[in-house]
Amino acid sequence: MVCLALFGVARGAAQPQGGYSAAQLYNWANAYARSGKPGLAVLNYERARLLAPDDPDIEANLRRVRETSGLPPVNRSAIERVAARLSPRSLAWVGVLGLLMTGFSLLARVGQKPKRRKLAAVAMAGALLVAVSAADAVALWPIIHQAVVIAPSTPVRVSPVTTEEPLFVLPEASLVTPRAQHEGFVLVRTTGGRSGWVPLANLARIVPQR
Amino acid sequence: MNRRIHRARGWLAALVFTGFAVSAPPAHSAASSVDATIEPSQIAVGESAQLTILQSGSGTLSVALPVVSGLEFRVVGQRHQIQIINGFALESTSTIVRVTAEEAGVFTIPGPTPNSPPLVLRVNPSGASPSLQGNAVPAPKVPGGFNSGGVHLTPDGSAFVHVEIPKHEMYVGESVPVEIQVGMRDGFVESLNGLPKLNSSDFTLNSLSRQPERAGRTIDAKPFTVYTWRTLLGGVKPGTYTLAFETPLTVRIRTRPQRESSLDDLLGDPFLQNIFGATVQKNLNVSSPDATITVLPLPAQGRPPDFGGAVGSFKISTDISSAKNTAGDPLTLRMHVDGSGNFDRVESSMLGGDADWRTYEPKASFNSTDPLGYRGVKTFEQPIIATQPGSRSIPPLSFSFFDPSTRRYETAHSSPLSVMVSPAPQSAEAPPPAIAGPAAESHDGLRPDHAVTEARVASLMPLYFQPAFAAGTSVLALLFAGGWVALRRRERNANDLQRERERRRAQIIEASLQQMTAAAAAGDTAAFLRGARSALQQTLSARWQIAPALLSVDDVEARLQGDDREHVLQIFALADEADYSGADLQAAEFEHWTQVVRGQLSEPPA
Repeated sequence: MVCLALFGVARGAAQPQGGYSAAQLYNWANAYARSGKPGLAVLNYERARLLAPDDPDIEANLRRVRETSGLPPVNRSAIERVAARLSPRSLAWVGVLGLLMTGFSLLARVGQKPKRRKLAAVAMAGALLVAVSAADAVALWPIIHQAVVIAPSTPVRVSPVTTEEPLFVLPEASLVTPRAQHEGFVLVRTTGGRSGWVPLANLARIVPQR
Repeated sequence: MNRRIHRARGWLAALVFTGFAVSAPPAHSAASSVDATIEPSQIAVGESAQLTILQSGSGTLSVALPVVSGLEFRVVGQRHQIQIINGFALESTSTIVRVTAEEAGVFTIPGPTPNSPPLVLRVNPSGASPSLQGNAVPAPKVPGGFNSGGVHLTPDGSAFVHVEIPKHEMYVGESVPVEIQVGMRDGFVESLNGLPKLNSSDFTLNSLSRQPERAGRTIDAKPFTVYTWRTLLGGVKPGTYTLAFETPLTVRIRTRPQRESSLDDLLGDPFLQNIFGATVQKNLNVSSPDATITVLPLPAQGRPPDFGGAVGSFKISTDISSAKNTAGDPLTLRMHVDGSGNFDRVESSMLGGDADWRTYEPKASFNSTDPLGYRGVKTFEQPIIATQPGSRSIPPLSFSFFDPSTRRYETAHSSPLSVMVSPAPQSAEAPPPAIAGPAAESHDGLRPDHAVTEARVASLMPLYFQPAFAAGTSVLALLFAGGWVALRRRERNANDLQRERERRRAQIIEASLQQMTAAAAAGDTAAFLRGARSALQQTLSARWQIAPALLSVDDVEARLQGDDREHVLQIFALADEADYSGADLQAAEFEHWTQVVRGQLSEPPA
């Protein structure tokens, strides 16, 4: 996997001092939306949604900005819709709880013939919690690898050079998935399935990599 | 009478020559003469010239290789020749030295003997003439050539470039599949130095694949390896133009006359050619014969307003992601353009927005059914949203293209689609009462800012994918797994020990019963009672989970009731008595006590 560590260094996409807060990211996104920068607005809404997925204001404003930018609504799978209603942080600790339940009940079950059924039920319940947590992680995996186009009308070319005619143009605030990087260009795949090279400076990752 | 004897000694001759030259001091026989020539006298950096040192006469001669900075000398062969003229034998030895230029300049090569005149070799920079290094300098085109086997070969018959164009009349923007064949005579072409290149700016060419098809072919009974690329050719502007394809090759050029190379021709083996020093490498551009193509303009008459430049033969179909939907929810309208042609110019704006439908920009994807991208299906996907409930119809879509086979514009139409749109639920329309106040939209349509009160996190990366969390949970899972395995193993070992103990106890009881039976038959009271006591000890100790040796009368009195207690205590007392005083039992008593013991053995365990 090509290192894409430089993503997110654009203005408005950098890590804030003291860490991230969902409310702060949401407020920034609102400010960018009002100042006519839908790319940075969508970027910060997506980041805020990672921290507070059940916040209806984030979802509503994100939808609003995408609509005003002429972008289609994001069609999410069923598992992604369920995952979007749950806090990843909470679900991660639920998974740990499930792991503890499963582990301890399996250990206690050894040599405890009279309580084996009850302990097996506890182990199953714990395994279910672990499965729910794992499913949430799977649903989040594509999102954390996405990036947002933060420049207006980003040309997409067939190769990482500027001399070619663009294949097509990506509107600002589009979501793309970076695949590779080469000398200031990033190979991206759009949500529509098209691929091409775009300038690195025109993108910001939703989750900046260290 | 004139007779010639040619001997090619190859590398052996070179070794002899070189060894002799190094070991012996320069000297020459009075009967010998030495002459040297270099051909050509002007080369480019990286190219080679041939230095021929000719020794005439019968004497023995040793010649050291010259040393000139910037030139490399390598003996590639030696030829001994005897001519008999009017009864006199005249011997001569030719030594072939390959001189390779490493840098540009005018070099003076000392003569082979002190009396020989020096030779001059002019080396031009690599940009001034073809280079052996295969850099960006264009190699010379090969003029002339001849036709054979349906292709146009180079003059030496070592290579050809052939272009298969299915038609010589095309329309502007039309894509025509072409096939480019590069044939290389086996053993005569050293390497293919690049892809075939179109030499005309009046046409466009799709990129060639890196992996051409490779096949063998025989032309005039000579083996060729043919590489084939397929691509699409397009005309840029109307007119009649010529085009050709050039391919850079490195070929082996004979350094001996054609008539002396019959062995090489026969074998066609570069290894043999190297041995006999018959060839040198040279970079060449081999070109295909010029092809004339007429590019026709697209007619202005009858051009549909939505024509976007698609030239080919296409048909369209449409579908919708769901025939039932809720007002406000997005649907996906798809249009499939199927056929052959210039798919890069196949575009569609799909459905325009109206009162019933809110539409968004479509996205396109192309699924090619051939490697060229000439045939396939291009699919346009457009998100659309029904604004009103009820039975809604999606109007037919159209797509216009120019069909070169019919020489006119065509417009394909799809069928209309119907969608049943149900009203949106009331609850989804109204905002939740609890958040109605703070979530009310501002004048710009955005919900208001939030108060920043919650704790901050150091990273946006979800906890699952943070290294510390992942490592911690992995260690925890491993600890649980390890603990479970260890406990299971301990439990299994304990079960094994218990089973072994029970097996031994059963053996002892069985032996005791046999002892009782034998003693009863023999009338041995003491042995009978010892067996009975042993069987009861094993049985009762297993039942009460104590060691057989620790079983006491107190245990029996405390844990058994009624006749069982009395009988067991009586057996223990009789056994003690028999040990010390020799009590005797009657035959009926043997049977009675045997029944008592067997009764205890059949009791279920505690």
